[in-house]
Amino acid sequence: MSEIGIKHFDMNDIFNTLSLGLIAVDSNGKVLLWNDWVAKHSNVKEADALNQKLEQAFSEAVSPAFLTALNNTLIYRLPVVLSTALHRTPLPLYNASETNQQQTRMYQSITITPIRSQLNEPCGLIQVTDSSTSIKREKMLRSHSEILKKEATTDCLTDICNRRFFDAHYELAVADAKRQKHCLSIFMVDIDFFKAYNDYYGHIAGDNVIRQVAEALKSQLSRATDIVARYGGEEFALVMPYLSQKVAEQFAEKLRSAVSNLAIPHIKSAPFHQITISIGVCTGIPENGDNLLDRADSALYRAKQKGRNQFISIPLCETEEYLKQ
Amino acid sequence: MNHISELHLDALTEIFSIGAGRAALSLSEIVGDEVRISVPSVQIINTEDINPASLSLTCDGRFGAVSQRFSGPFTAEAVLLFTEEQALKIVSDMMDSKMSYEELAEFEHEAMCELGNIILNACLSSMADILKFTLESSLPCYTVASADKILKRLKKNPNQPYIMILHIDLAIEKRHTAGNLVFLLSTDSLSNLVIHIKQFLGNIHE
Repeated sequence: MSEIGIKHFDMNDIFNTLSLGLIAVDSNGKVLLWNDWVAKHSNVKEADALNQKLEQAFSEAVSPAFLTALNNTLIYRLPVVLSTALHRTPLPLYNASETNQQQTRMYQSITITPIRSQLNEPCGLIQVTDSSTSIKREKMLRSHSEILKKEATTDCLTDICNRRFFDAHYELAVADAKRQKHCLSIFMVDIDFFKAYNDYYGHIAGDNVIRQVAEALKSQLSRATDIVARYGGEEFALVMPYLSQKVAEQFAEKLRSAVSNLAIPHIKSAPFHQITISIGVCTGIPENGDNLLDRADSALYRAKQKGRNQFISIPLCETEEYLKQ
Repeated sequence: MNHISELHLDALTEIFSIGAGRAALSLSEIVGDEVRISVPSVQIINTEDINPASLSLTCDGRFGAVSQRFSGPFTAEAVLLFTEEQALKIVSDMMDSKMSYEELAEFEHEAMCELGNIILNACLSSMADILKFTLESSLPCYTVASADKILKRLKKNPNQPYIMILHIDLAIEKRHTAGNLVFLLSTDSLSNLVIHIKQFLGNIHE
């Protein structure tokens, strides 16, 4: 501090205004300085702390590692840091703000530096900063990023995966099946006569149907490897590995009947008078250039042509011949 | 360079081994488990002769460096070097269950500072104790840099033509880590160090 500074301010005012803890001890560890910040967070008044040995000045025990560090500084005159990560709460200091809640111990970062008094006696200066806020901030940022990550991959109407997630997952699943040479099934699902439903019942009812169908499809999945995504307006897509074509067909029927069992009335759906779905499924071990998604889409088109409320299953190979049948 | 003998280096190795023992004790107290630190060898070379191999900076990764400047009968900059990967492992071992690995990122620098500070202070204080002088030191500062940058920084100051290298082995629980503690010394500082070692050896032999 310059002469000018000393002339203008009472040093005590400055110490007591600081938003960090300051404690000075003499070479025997007796407290010489105890600023307001420390008094507030320790609940020990300056008058009660002065001239006490530091470990007795607090109302609770001080961590042994802190005392070792302080001792080392007083003996060897070398500065010491105590990090939050390794010590967390070495001194009994509390976050005082929440009056009704139980007080929690403050996370602290501490430095201890050797200083000399005006009489040239060796002393130690302890500086304490509150690292609770940076820990809180870090936790908050992490939970925000988790939420954003989920939002970025979830369809907001149905709460199932969105197209963005599907595209990325599909690519990975195909690459995985190619590498490990295992079967992969892609299901394309479309709600029958959905435009007519929307026109007659309105968009809100239409949204409800999409939500219910998504829920019905999702409820059929039980393995962690399987996903269902909203592919477009009233279109859904499922990615499921390790199924034989026969099992994939049984599963497609399960999907169809799950939606049928919802028994949602749809008077503009001529033959069925309720909400139904058509499904195209393609199963096979993908090789270079194969496009399961296109094939499943062709199968879906075929299911629509053949009268809807049904599935068409095709293997990945011999697709053309199969479709001509 | 001629005036430092094998005997002097042996004496320094002894002195720093005592320091390493002290550091291990402090670290054990924090970790709540046995920590062992040894200093198998001490070397003094010309700063211009240092190369990546002499500091085990041979891998491509980045290195964590904790440095403190100290002054007294001799002044020097002390730098403790670990690979960044090792540094992270040490810190996460030390933190144990106290904090999750994800929380580490934010506090890794501070924790590395503390680890370096404990080892540096222990080595400095054992030297001060045994050679009977007092040292002052700055607070530690942690940086992460490539081997190239670290070597450039070590060679930067022409007033520090000597470098003292302590090879350090650190064992926390089952993990062994090797690092280097480097002291950058001026010609005067090295002479003063040698004088103090000679006095110390002379006292023993009397």
